[in-house]
Amino acid sequence: MASGKSPLGHFSILYFAAASTFTGKSTEHLPAPVLARNLFTSLEQLYPGIVDKVLSSCAVTVNLEYIDLDGEDTPQLELMIKEGDEVAIIPPVSSG
Amino acid sequence: MAQAQPAPSSFPSTIPTDPTTHQTASTYISLTPHPLSASQLTTFVRSPSAGATVLFIGTTRDTFATLPVSSLSYTSYIPLAMSTLRSICSSLLSKHEIEKIAIVHRLGEVGIGEESIVIAVSAKHRQAAWRAGEEALEEAKRRAEIWKLEKFVGGEGVWRANRDGVMGVKVEPDEGKEGREGVENKGESGTLDVSEEG
Repeated sequence: MASGKSPLGHFSILYFAAASTFTGKSTEHLPAPVLARNLFTSLEQLYPGIVDKVLSSCAVTVNLEYIDLDGEDTPQLELMIKEGDEVAIIPPVSSG
Repeated sequence: MAQAQPAPSSFPSTIPTDPTTHQTASTYISLTPHPLSASQLTTFVRSPSAGATVLFIGTTRDTFATLPVSSLSYTSYIPLAMSTLRSICSSLLSKHEIEKIAIVHRLGEVGIGEESIVIAVSAKHRQAAWRAGEEALEEAKRRAEIWKLEKFVGGEGVWRANRDGVMGVKVEPDEGKEGREGVENKGESGTLDVSEEG
């Protein structure tokens, strides 16, 4: 992957498919820590319109694990994205 | 490899030049930029205890609904897709009475009519091989973190979504460099109801 190590005080974020097209990037480093539930808001500030056009249909992974932010059962509302974490935006998949 | 024209710039840094492969005695998984070999997979799953081998070959199609497709490329979150495919294989091995399973998917630019996914399953008996083979394909299409960019004749590109048979997100062409930099995409509402090949 293109991410590499993130600089001090940052995490890596990977953008795939439509997320990559929208941001014009496949990866970048963003300041850490940030609450996972605030991630989309931060991205909206960087890329106006991204929530509505892309992120609303995307899943999110942190260090290769899917996180659950809107499930009623056990939403990971306090999950903190930390320095050095690898976050990825996962649009609907289309293999085959 | 493309000829004189610039390489597709949609995801240049995310397609490694070497395959990523995971192999055990009963499982073979690979994500590769190279052409796929169906015979390599049937050789892998061959076993003296298997009476049936099922092979699925998914090839890239030249149309989406009625729109002519000029080229396709696939990108992937490789470490996550490998882990998802491993989990699909191990659950099929425990759920069905199969001997071996192999799944390979092509990444990067794929010519029309070429193999994009190949699945081979061997089992003592045909029923288990058929079922596991179909389930492997359906699960891979539903879950594997791989994305297809279809470029239509005329230059427009669309990120496809398997879910719901929707068309996905449109990618506006931008002169000289189709793909990412400075390109703004638009939400796409085309809900063409078509089912898809492999």
